[in-house]
Amino acid sequence: MVLVAELLSGGAFREMRVTLGEARTWSLLMRSMGLSVAVTLGALVIGIPTGAVLGRTDVIGRRAALLVHAFPVFLPPFLLAFGWFHLFGRQGLVGSAWTSSLLFGPFGVIATLALAFAPIVTTLTALGISEIDPSLEEAARTVTRPHRTVMRILLPLAWPSIALGALVVFALTLSEIGVPMFLRVRTYPAAVFTRLGGIEYAPGEAVALVLPLLAVGLLLVFVDRRLIGRRSFAALGLRSRQIAPLPLGRARMPLSAAVWLVSLVSLLPLCALALEAGASGMSDALEWIGPSMGTSLAASAVAAVVITAMGLVIGHALARRRRAASTLDALALLAFITPSSVLGVGMVAAWNRPGTQFVYTTLIILVLGLVARYGILGVRALGAVFHRSSPHYEEAAAAFGAGFFRRMGRILLPMHARGVLAAWLIAFVFCMRDLDTVVVFYPPGLEPLPVRIFTLEANGPQHVVAALSLYHALLTAVVLTVGGLLLGLRRRRS
Amino acid sequence: MRDRPDRHECPPAIVLVFLVLAFATGCDSCKSKRNQAVVYTSVDQVFSEPIFHHCEGAAGISVRSLFDTEETKSTGVLNRLIAEAEHPQADVFWSGDPVRPFLLVDRGLVEPYRSPNAATLPRELRAQDGTWTGFAARARVLLVNNNLISEADTPRSIRDLADPRWRGRTAIANPLFGTTTMHVAALFSAWGDEEAKAFLNRLKENNIRIASSNGEVKRLVVSGEIAFGLTDTDDAHKALDDGAPVRVVYPDQSGMGSLVIPTVVVLIKGGAHPEAGRRLIDCLLTAEVESRMAKDAAHMPLRPGVSVPENVRAVGSIKAMEVDYGSIAQTMERIQPWLREWVGL
Repeated sequence: MVLVAELLSGGAFREMRVTLGEARTWSLLMRSMGLSVAVTLGALVIGIPTGAVLGRTDVIGRRAALLVHAFPVFLPPFLLAFGWFHLFGRQGLVGSAWTSSLLFGPFGVIATLALAFAPIVTTLTALGISEIDPSLEEAARTVTRPHRTVMRILLPLAWPSIALGALVVFALTLSEIGVPMFLRVRTYPAAVFTRLGGIEYAPGEAVALVLPLLAVGLLLVFVDRRLIGRRSFAALGLRSRQIAPLPLGRARMPLSAAVWLVSLVSLLPLCALALEAGASGMSDALEWIGPSMGTSLAASAVAAVVITAMGLVIGHALARRRRAASTLDALALLAFITPSSVLGVGMVAAWNRPGTQFVYTTLIILVLGLVARYGILGVRALGAVFHRSSPHYEEAAAAFGAGFFRRMGRILLPMHARGVLAAWLIAFVFCMRDLDTVVVFYPPGLEPLPVRIFTLEANGPQHVVAALSLYHALLTAVVLTVGGLLLGLRRRRS
Repeated sequence: MRDRPDRHECPPAIVLVFLVLAFATGCDSCKSKRNQAVVYTSVDQVFSEPIFHHCEGAAGISVRSLFDTEETKSTGVLNRLIAEAEHPQADVFWSGDPVRPFLLVDRGLVEPYRSPNAATLPRELRAQDGTWTGFAARARVLLVNNNLISEADTPRSIRDLADPRWRGRTAIANPLFGTTTMHVAALFSAWGDEEAKAFLNRLKENNIRIASSNGEVKRLVVSGEIAFGLTDTDDAHKALDDGAPVRVVYPDQSGMGSLVIPTVVVLIKGGAHPEAGRRLIDCLLTAEVESRMAKDAAHMPLRPGVSVPENVRAVGSIKAMEVDYGSIAQTMERIQPWLREWVGL
């Protein structure tokens, strides 16, 4: 809304000529784009082979390895940067002047975010490979060895899923603020942030800066529509079909060691935080945690419900090719990549009014902000789920007079309960990890845990800050574990 | 066939959840909270939050607080106050520096209030019209790494940040945020634009590191990544308390003096709980709070008679830079475009 208001008032157009006419603006944008490309490439280098091995071969403990590898993606990237700092900062556990100089610079940002986001590529690669018609694979295996089957048949066929993973990583990196700011790398979203957090409150200038990002967003939407398209949907649904894994033979042990090494590297920052926190930190942190954990849980849980509900409606419409669905999907994708500070200012402008104080001063404002930011997750996840199911069941029900909600409640939800639960789980953990969106407009006294960690980091006892970070990670792990068990239970029943 | 909602279907559960949330979290429009004060602050949460807990007991109020992040220190909260100007949510703003509240005063967002507890504070720390009151101060200092700089080579002036001897081994916090903004504005006021810009450009030529915050400057010095940096006394004393191999230098004691930065409290015009806001301000302006800020946050008491811990210098023992906070506030706004260009944002 603030974007529209600024555009209509001419504020953004007035600022556009000045702000976008400066060379440093474009230089920063190119730097951010370059960082995003580098992180994406890094995530692909890590994620594609890891996903191929974990998704399709008989590597030892592959499910556990995938869980360990994927866990950090559900944490605020800033916490991971904090952990790497405790490891490789000059006074870190294994740090030196050299490691510190590497960490606090573009290399550090690229490495931190590539490791943080690689599981997205890993998971989508694994899912994409698992969707391939097994007869193609069987035919290939009669004439060539397993590794050539993977390289020549499976990976090329899984490219829409891999491309989707690359798209998501690129978008997440482009809008990331916390890690570059902590590691002292100037980025384009930080420029937007300073226009709104700097001494000169300049929303018009911030909106002008957002316009190129919107152009990038539209380009991503185009890439998504034209090159990836509906094929990506095939990767996101939950499988109930089991295929025998590819035997690795003599390569099983070394490849198992390799993927477990990759997975365990993902946990190193958490180990560093645990060492920093110690037992005293974990107990002292309870004095500082306040209501933030409850706030995070409540806001994230409700936001995930709303995102799932959005996904049920818009995702279903997208899968059934309803006219307006593509537009809503594109808007949700744009909201995902718009700098969160701009979204935040819009929330303040829209909801801080006499008649909406019951929204602005309560958890509801957090829920609305999180839904606006992460709605795309529900739409895409459930769009994929519905895409895999035949529309005939719904058509038959409609023929007998069942309305939309009755079809949804009596047919689609029971049929796709696992997919719905998975979508809720994904939305929940992304809402839990959010910092950049809610930090701009959270109500006083209702700060979510990531915000509390971020504000306490200023001169707060380091062992307490590390411990709070661990509490966040533990909470996420508990929710994922419970969710995973429920998903497993549903699979056994179906 | 057009889809119509089944008339026997229940309303979406999500609507009920929203209503429960609204009541559960206690919105102001639902019930009156006359004894609740909402405070926005840029004083570090680790220091200010215990103070608010103290004031809840001492003043008989409940306090809901909102803190700034290290990276947007002072300005993030300030801009939220400006963004909310039409319908203020805060009752009180406790600023970590004396300059940003002027921006609120200039915009007509402050309600004058002369707290009875302010009477014992020095006159120059109180606005004549009652719009702001200063107390519990920090100073801008140089934090020096003992292992990298000998006593003989100790820097004594902020100009030493541009000394080629220390090329690439000095740091300041981002001058777009926090107390560094105020300090840079004070230099512009004291030296004039030309000299101040020349100094900042020399800092750049000297490869000064621009840290995200004063806390980051402290970390850089403590870790030995840089030899010395410009930061605040609370950050510096935190490093000393942690046993880091550092020492604190109050710069320019034989020259223009060190910049002293009181914290400042203002009452927000149009806040929902003005009475509770005044009681919170009264509590913040007590000797007890200044004593706590001195002990826990190494802030110098400005009220006579408040004891100073051993690790905190009395403000009277420091040659302070002569400044006009109102003038600095105007300079701060004026130089923003140039500073953004200097920082590269």
